[in-house]
Amino acid sequence: MELDEFRSALDAWLDAHAAELAPPFEGTGTLDEQMAQLAKVKGAAYDAGWTRWGWPERVGGLGGSPLLRGYLGEALTLRGLVDPGGYSMVEVLAPTMIDYARPELAAEMVPRLLRGEELWCQGFSEPGTGSNLAALACRAVRDGDAWRVTGQKVWTSFAQYAQRCVLLTRTGPPESAHRGITAMFVDMATPGITVRPLGTMHGGAEFCEVFFDDVSVPLDRTLGEEGQGWSVAMDLLPFERSTALWHRTAFLNRRLEQLLIDASSDSLSAAEIGDVFVQLFALRARSRGTQHRMAAGERLGPETSIDKILLATTEQALFDLVGAALAEDVALGDDTAAEQWRAQYLYSRAATIYGGSAEIQRNIVARRLLDLGAEA
Amino acid sequence: MDAGELELFRSALRQATTNHTGKALEDALDELGWRDALAADRQAAVSTLFELQGEANATSSALDVVMAGRPAVLPPLGSYDQPTVRGLGTYAFANSALDGVTVRPVDGIDPSLGLVEVTGRLPITDVSSWSDAVAAGQLALVHELIGASRAMLELARTHALERVQFDRPIASFQAVRHRLAECLVAIEAAGAAAEAAWEMETPLSAMAAKAVAGRSSRVVAKNCQQVLAGIGFTTEHPFHRYLRRVLVLDGLLGDTRTLTKRLGEELLRTRRLPPLQTL
Ligand SMILES: Cc1cc2nc3c(=O)[nH]c(=O)nc-3n(C[C@H](O)[C@H](O)[C@H](O)COP(=O)(O)OP(=O)(O)OC[C@H]3O[C@@H](n4cnc5c(N)ncnc54)[C@H](O)[C@@H]3O)c2cc1C
Repeated sequence: MELDEFRSALDAWLDAHAAELAPPFEGTGTLDEQMAQLAKVKGAAYDAGWTRWGWPERVGGLGGSPLLRGYLGEALTLRGLVDPGGYSMVEVLAPTMIDYARPELAAEMVPRLLRGEELWCQGFSEPGTGSNLAALACRAVRDGDAWRVTGQKVWTSFAQYAQRCVLLTRTGPPESAHRGITAMFVDMATPGITVRPLGTMHGGAEFCEVFFDDVSVPLDRTLGEEGQGWSVAMDLLPFERSTALWHRTAFLNRRLEQLLIDASSDSLSAAEIGDVFVQLFALRARSRGTQHRMAAGERLGPETSIDKILLATTEQALFDLVGAALAEDVALGDDTAAEQWRAQYLYSRAATIYGGSAEIQRNIVARRLLDLGAEA
Repeated sequence: MDAGELELFRSALRQATTNHTGKALEDALDELGWRDALAADRQAAVSTLFELQGEANATSSALDVVMAGRPAVLPPLGSYDQPTVRGLGTYAFANSALDGVTVRPVDGIDPSLGLVEVTGRLPITDVSSWSDAVAAGQLALVHELIGASRAMLELARTHALERVQFDRPIASFQAVRHRLAECLVAIEAAGAAAEAAWEMETPLSAMAAKAVAGRSSRVVAKNCQQVLAGIGFTTEHPFHRYLRRVLVLDGLLGDTRTLTKRLGEELLRTRRLPPLQTL
């Protein structure tokens, strides 16, 4: 399947099914409603075959270029059918399973994620470990043919909805840093796991604390080898900054266009809106280049930190403008449109925090791309 | 051009731009067949030459060739869209002896660029071909700005690794590292925008790319200057030539501020986004 053919066929299908696919709620909806909408759209897109394109056949895909996945997420986002945050978790977690899980496990699990039958979460951060991921402490010890996991994760997005978790644990001695980390694929229903949703400032409870109390995880759920968890994490992060980022860029385009509709003429200056447009133009161009490198089989690496910096900067520039041009809506409005602007304005504040903070991205650029040697 | 040919072409051009400037550079370009390359593979010929010209701080009238195939008048700073009677030309204009046109050298902040002020009637009357010419010229300037920005970053990067203060290279200080990281992000954004504009071939995308590149070059100039500090403020260090160059190049065929505002006006007029680059 070629991209052009895919694009026109998918567009036609989305037009034909617009009514069924549309969210049944106005504005942002509750988190429960959003998750139900996500599952509905993913299910329909999977059954119609769209979601299977761009994934390898050994995990139930139909093959073809990953650009097809890029376009699918873009089209669903531009039409307001899915929120890119939840939707794009697939783009982050499925490639990790494909690269690091036992082939049978990947073949069994990935289709469930693609179909929207399951949601997975990513358990990296801990109370004592945010930016300094290599210091994580959540402990896993070998016990026969299982790991026993004890510790805590925090800010784990969608953990309360997730059936599985890609978890990073400490299997080496405490001082083993990045060498002593092991990744595993954990069933969230396993006894000993407690999930406590945390309220977020943008509304809802998108993320959670997750507690592990002597949780048993079969050894054959290990992702990669014991002690290879750091590579799993380092290979996963560029995925966050490729297709998922392309989807988020589509979201920003959609919201910029909505801002043009919602804001009154005297609240938007040409200079300000032009500035956001120009940033978005560059971001989209950059992210598109990354999609094509990935499609050509290139291995993505630290250069995707540039994509992430551009995304975070542009997202905040757009919503800074929203905050100014729709100040009354954001600060005082109570209708669904205002609530949506407010939630998105607040969420944009996290763009420089999650997935490696703005400072961490610049550290990567300095060290890995500019080769400036070690920091003082 | 395939990858191998492009590599050869690039190294021949690099020889030319590092060793020559002005008329001598044009002779060198003629000798190595840059015009033939322009006819065969426009993107490769323009992007390669202008990046290298920017990197070497060299000058030539290649912009005239790209824009009109003859000396072109670049309307002055701030207003770029009317082929009217007063504007800037490359130094080649001084020798063009067109009827009814007077030419006066402009030194300004970057005398070595050799711009001239041109007053008189323009040879270009077809407005649609003029807007294509502007887009072509903008894109060439984007690459020249990127080349100059890369050169500034390389100067600052090398300096940061070599300059020792408090018993360590200043490249080990995070404030310095983040400034340099900012520069690379800005340059890569401009590079991506340029690629997009080549692919889209619309006047609007060339404007957007020029706005991105002008803005990026100012970010780079500002941060590199801070890292270079005292040494970079002397005329013995090459930095100042690049700073001068990007300030003038940003102004040619529409500076960032003007182009950004025009794009914004277009958005406010239509209340929708223009067609975006597709995957
Ligand atoms: C909305 C949201 C969703 C999230 N979802 C998930 C998820 O699904 N799974 C998950 O595992 N995590 C998730 N996170 C957590 C996120 O990855 C962390 O918040 C992030 O890595 C930063 O860690 P921290 O909050 O502990 O900040 P810290 O690491 O404590 O940093 C605090 C500040 O210090 C700066 N800083 C730290 N180290 C350096 C340094 N070396 N140089 C310069 N500055 C530095 C940081 O940039 C930051 O500004 C989420 C966070 C948010 C906000």
